[in-house]
Amino acid sequence: MRVATFQWLMLLTLTALSFGLAEAGMSGSAVLIPVLLATLVKGNIVIDRFMALRGVKGPWRWIVLGWLLLVLGLIAYAFQLAQS
Amino acid sequence: MKYQSQMVAKPYFIAAIGLFLGQILFGLIMGLQYVVGDFLFPEIPFNVARMVHTNLLIVWLLFGFMGAAYYLIPEESERELHSPKLAMVMFWIFLAAGVMTILGYLFVPYATLAEMTGNNLLATMGREFLEQPLPTKVGIVVVALAMLYNLSMTVLRGRKTAINLVMLVGLWGLAIFFLFSFYNPGNIVKDKYFWWWVVHLWVEGVWELIMGAMLAFVLIKVTGVDREVIEKWLYVIIAMALITGLIGTGHHYYWIGAPEYWQWWGSVFSALEPIPFFMMTVFAFNMVNRRRREHPNKAAVLWALGTGVMAFLGAGVWGFLHTLAPVNFYTHGSQITAAHGHMAFYGAYVMVVITMISYTMPLMRGRAANSPLAQVVEMWSFWLMTVAMVFITLFLTAAGILQIWLQRISDQPMSFMAAQDQVALFYWLREGAGVIFLIGLLLYIGSFFIKGKAATAD
Amino acid sequence: MWFFILAELLVFGIFFLAYAFARTHNVELFNASQLELDRASGVINTVLLISSSYFVVLAVSRIRRGHSRSCASWLITAMTCGAAFLVLKLSEFSGKIEAGINMSTNTFYMFYLGLGFFHFMHVVLGMIILGAVTLKAWRGGYSAADHAGVETGAAYWHMVDLVWIVLFPLIYILN
Ligand code: HEM
Ligand code: HEM
Ligand SMILES: [Fe+2]
Repeated sequence: MRVATFQWLMLLTLTALSFGLAEAGMSGSAVLIPVLLATLVKGNIVIDRFMALRGVKGPWRWIVLGWLLLVLGLIAYAFQLAQS
Repeated sequence: MKYQSQMVAKPYFIAAIGLFLGQILFGLIMGLQYVVGDFLFPEIPFNVARMVHTNLLIVWLLFGFMGAAYYLIPEESERELHSPKLAMVMFWIFLAAGVMTILGYLFVPYATLAEMTGNNLLATMGREFLEQPLPTKVGIVVVALAMLYNLSMTVLRGRKTAINLVMLVGLWGLAIFFLFSFYNPGNIVKDKYFWWWVVHLWVEGVWELIMGAMLAFVLIKVTGVDREVIEKWLYVIIAMALITGLIGTGHHYYWIGAPEYWQWWGSVFSALEPIPFFMMTVFAFNMVNRRRREHPNKAAVLWALGTGVMAFLGAGVWGFLHTLAPVNFYTHGSQITAAHGHMAFYGAYVMVVITMISYTMPLMRGRAANSPLAQVVEMWSFWLMTVAMVFITLFLTAAGILQIWLQRISDQPMSFMAAQDQVALFYWLREGAGVIFLIGLLLYIGSFFIKGKAATAD
Repeated sequence: MWFFILAELLVFGIFFLAYAFARTHNVELFNASQLELDRASGVINTVLLISSSYFVVLAVSRIRRGHSRSCASWLITAMTCGAAFLVLKLSEFSGKIEAGINMSTNTFYMFYLGLGFFHFMHVVLGMIILGAVTLKAWRGGYSAADHAGVETGAAYWHMVDLVWIVLFPLIYILN
């Protein structure tokens, strides 16, 4: 139980971090990279811990994690594209 | 067959096959008019032939669905049909209305027909697929409501299964969405909306429920796989069909004056519409592979598997081909559309109705399956019609690609008719494939008259 | 249920990428419109959804030990968060609509309103599912040995949360 609470606090912290960066008026890569990384970690927590897919046999975990990675990766690419 | 009242399905199926033959004959007439412009002019102008071809299609499929429902619902509900007499009365009314309408199309100029039948009281005529005169439309509603009453009473008092509930909901949906055809607004944007709410929400919505239920019913019977397994599949398939199909209506809003965002929503959701069709294919093969018994009616099994494959090809693959807005920008209303329309209608709805006929007709004629020879002939007709339809689709697709190129993409775009001349070769080939289709259909009809000892499971 | 979850993820994924790539053609417009959003409301909603997901985790761990009632209580807590999310979201939307903004205003708002509404409907559906599970749990319909229903409902809710976790930074923060 304590583990779940810790993860929850982690999620809140990462959210606050992303929000803080935006409020600080930062833009470009300075926001893009940390925020996407934070999102990746958050997504990973939800998938592995909350959905409890970690340790599940079969392809489910990798499909969902793959979805997250693919979507975030392509978002990063598209935003990078827009900057240049 | 467990219940005497299931027999009412038989005249429905016979009428369906008869009208099917009519549909194909008019298809061939039109196919020839495409390349020999004055063929049968002025007796049967192209626009009349087209109306007869498509209306016969819709009407015979409705006959097929109704027959299927009258067979399937009592068996699933484990009781006799509420009123077989009502079902028979409705059959004759529907047949008379159908035949009168077709004769009206053929022998009375359309404008005169409209005048004679009260189109000035409530204008509903003149839209593709929904050309029927007002009395016919009212007749369809009356027949549908009487059927729904009859079937609903049967289900309410009997056993409720996934199959009969899905079938019933599908039929109710069919009747309800047809009501949109009574509203024919002068505003052309609204007009298109209401038209698609009948046409699209039928074939990519509620008809899929009817199709799923019919397929599941036959698969249970011929494979002996547990009902629980089949029902689970059925639920997932129809849920996917409804979710993607409802919002997927947006793939018809691209260029009709609807807000631009539909190009996004229509594209994404309709791009997912192939999923339920794909699942139906997997479903059919999966069940047949897991079969617990060898059913003597091999032909019905073949039709069931064929439905899965061809529905996926026609609706799923050929639908996807032109459903994304940037593609549809070029393909809209071209021969690509006709190619898709043919294969989808055939692969999904024609084939599922024939699957049902193929399974039930022998039972209604007092045997588990037809004689081996009759089945061989039937399977030949399966291959002839199906392969012919594949070729019709391919030829129309080729014609469509060329047409789009010449008429819409090239530096010096041609006029419509000039482009049509350039692709005439493919229209000839299509007509050839159509003749093969007709031969297949004649064989199919012939297979009903082949006698012999009933086949047994080996 | 997992089949649906994957299908849903697929749809949302396509829309997220559509947003990201549509933006490359129109960076200024997207950045300018994004500044008009209420970022604070977005972040509160994130906290609400994350927390509700956490409460659902607690609910699942309770039923694993056979505590039906406390499972139901945590589910109710989670649904309260979900309801708060819906209320906040509605006020955000009504603000925009009063300002005369709709899906045809520009491409950014098409995505913001469209995706937001689509996700909104998923929260509603998730609440309905959780509600049904709660009811059954309260009546003692699940046990330590048999509680697949709770797990399935939880998985759906986490999916709704997961989608929001990507949606929030994408639409409210990244520029
Ligand atoms: C069994 C199911 C289906 C049937 C019977 C069917 C039939 C048809 C027919 C007859 C038309 C032409 C309508 C007209 O006269 O304008 C049409 C149009 C269209 N269908 Fe389907 N269809 C089916 C499923 C699908 C699916 C699953 C998709 C998408 C993946 C799709 C995509 C389209 C599109 C984009 C058009 C518009 C073509 C244009 O712009 O000209 N259809 N369909
Ligand atoms: C012998 C075979 C067939 C031939 C030669 C044929 C020919 C034609 C022709 C020439 C058209 C008119 C296209 C236009 O307006 O430009 C048409 C329309 C249509 N046919 Fe057929 N047809 C045949 C079989 C079928 C079958 C088996 C089905 C259904 C399963 C069918 C369904 C339709 C539909 C739905 C339309 C309206 C399509 C649209 O507007 O895109 N046809 N057919
Ligand atoms: Fe459609």
